Amino acid sequence: MTITRRGFALGSAGALGVAASGAASGLARPAIAANEPIRIGWMGALTGPLAAPSIGFDRGTKWIVAEINGAGGVKGRQIEIVARDTQGDPTKAVNATQELMARQKVHAVWGPVNSGESLATTPIMARQKMPDLHPCVVNSLIDPAKYPNAYRISPSNTQWDDAVRNYCMNILKLRDVAIFGDSTGYGTSAVKDSVAGFAKAGANIVYQGVIDPNQTDVTPDLLRMRDAGAKAMVCWSVTTGLNARLMNARAAINWNVPIVGHPALGAGEVGKLVDKPANWQNVYMDGYRSCSFGPDGKLPPRSQEFVDRIKGKIELGDTSLWWITCAVDAINLIAKAVAETGSTEPDAFIGYWNKLSRYPGLFGDYTFTPTEHNGYPTDEVVMSAANSQRDGAYTLAPGYT
Amino acid sequence: MLAAILASGLAIGAVYALIGVTYNTMFSASRVMSFTAGQLGMLGGVFGALFILRLGLPPIVGFLLAMAGCAVMGVITEAIAVRPVLARLDQHLYVLSTLALALMIQQVAAIEWSTEPQPFPRLFGIGNGDPFDEKFWLPLVACAAVIIGLELLYRRTLVGRAFLAIAEDNFAARALGLPERNLRIASFALAGVIGGLAGFASGELMLAFFANGAMLSFYGFVPVALGGLGNNRGAIIGGLGLGLFQQAANFTFGGVFASVAVFIVFIVVLLAAPQGLFGAPVARRV
Repeated sequence: MTITRRGFALGSAGALGVAASGAASGLARPAIAANEPIRIGWMGALTGPLAAPSIGFDRGTKWIVAEINGAGGVKGRQIEIVARDTQGDPTKAVNATQELMARQKVHAVWGPVNSGESLATTPIMARQKMPDLHPCVVNSLIDPAKYPNAYRISPSNTQWDDAVRNYCMNILKLRDVAIFGDSTGYGTSAVKDSVAGFAKAGANIVYQGVIDPNQTDVTPDLLRMRDAGAKAMVCWSVTTGLNARLMNARAAINWNVPIVGHPALGAGEVGKLVDKPANWQNVYMDGYRSCSFGPDGKLPPRSQEFVDRIKGKIELGDTSLWWITCAVDAINLIAKAVAETGSTEPDAFIGYWNKLSRYPGLFGDYTFTPTEHNGYPTDEVVMSAANSQRDGAYTLAPGYT
Repeated sequence: MLAAILASGLAIGAVYALIGVTYNTMFSASRVMSFTAGQLGMLGGVFGALFILRLGLPPIVGFLLAMAGCAVMGVITEAIAVRPVLARLDQHLYVLSTLALALMIQQVAAIEWSTEPQPFPRLFGIGNGDPFDEKFWLPLVACAAVIIGLELLYRRTLVGRAFLAIAEDNFAARALGLPERNLRIASFALAGVIGGLAGFASGELMLAFFANGAMLSFYGFVPVALGGLGNNRGAIIGGLGLGLFQQAANFTFGGVFASVAVFIVFIVVLLAAPQGLFGAPVARRV
């Protein structure tokens, strides 16, 4: 049979007409759409120097997908994860985002999971209204007017700062603080935000500054803080070497004021670098109530039940529990949106998430509205004893009940 | 407070001085500024932690193996990044070749060792973080040992005099029958040991961290420029002065402003004495 130009044009017009009339009359979607897998793009730095959090997130992602699919999927539809390793490189994250959207035709994206990559990918996903859940802390990543498709399922930097300030001023009752960070872009901006927050709350900021993360001896900086009258040190550094040196120098000058700040204060690497275990005491880091052992030594019931369930299936000793629970929540939130709306269209996800109120996740209870896409509850952000990690969770800092 | 600044300033200054001497040792034998100097320092710390902490060898064995490893890296530098460049007319290619090798060493260390700082073993267990802690005086002892060792080598041994001869005029030295290539290889091995010693002695202070290499290459170059290229005495005085000034600036200005203060002084000194504080103006044939 020969295909002529006229025949092709007539045939196309006829096909379009049938499709249009079908859509207008509300006919059921083809069976392929009802049974096709729910494709979720998952982007993490799975290799390279920034891989530790992503490996934790990846364990949670794989586990929950296997659970959902094993139970029959979401209304009969299996979840298919399309994973891309971004290696902590924003350029690779941008390429992966474009490939996931254009070639893989994913329905929603989970990640990236570090702010540097998210700063690059969020505007790209916004242009195509790709529903995106991420756990990145930089405040500017969430803006419902600019990025109506992007939702944060972890605390923002402001929420971390709120918790630190609350702990210093309301629980430890200390108002004279030294605020500092490392001289990276993150450290510098975090110090600026933290200083503004403490000043607004009426604290007496006796010292503020940034320290080169490779500085071999921080004794001079600590002496300046001590001489300025600081009663607590607020530290915003992701550098384990600097954090450990800080603790060692504090011990060397016999100045046992609390160090309060970034979660990296509790990284396992810090424990290897302190001169003696006692140097790691009286150090408190941002943590999460859902992943903290209470004064009774137990996790909250929902978290404990989860930990019991995954025992032997997910390694917890070398990771953080919140990375795993947050990933489980991300996939559950996507699956729930499809289950409730029966659709994988972007508007369906966005419409569903915008109405969530206190959705009971493992990591936290999420609330989103059309104008607030920071879904993590501030009261879930607490301080933890930095030297208390056990099975990926930490003990609540003294003063919490 | 003064004791703390002096202790840490002199300690880190001694490390800068030793890296400066490493630069000079390689330069004297080849007229090449090898940017691998800082990486040799980094490897001294990493090898020390690897052999003693990770492999559990006795400290003295770990020290000797670390020095041997750094000497081998010095020889590899000569063979890969320097010798091919010397065969070309345009010797400025060394900027690329030595920098490329330095980056390779750093990346391999990051991949094979760790991207996070790793602990370095306590060697003698003396001190408790106070100004008399071993982490502060070990680099000074290493610096003193290198000064004495180089003096003895250059003034009391035939090999040392041969080193000086090729440093002075390698064409004349070759004409006299000195094995210039072998002496250059030996010089790079010696530089490897000096750089490695800097890293090993400062391991407790700087930790075993792959990123120390770039930092040492940078700050180790300052005493060379301040003291005059090829002048070990200038490098040692410049290094100790730099360390003291840096720590004093840390205390006075804090954080990144200290680095700014250091480089303002550096630029002012070079404007006043372009050949370095201890260097002689170079005579130019006309």
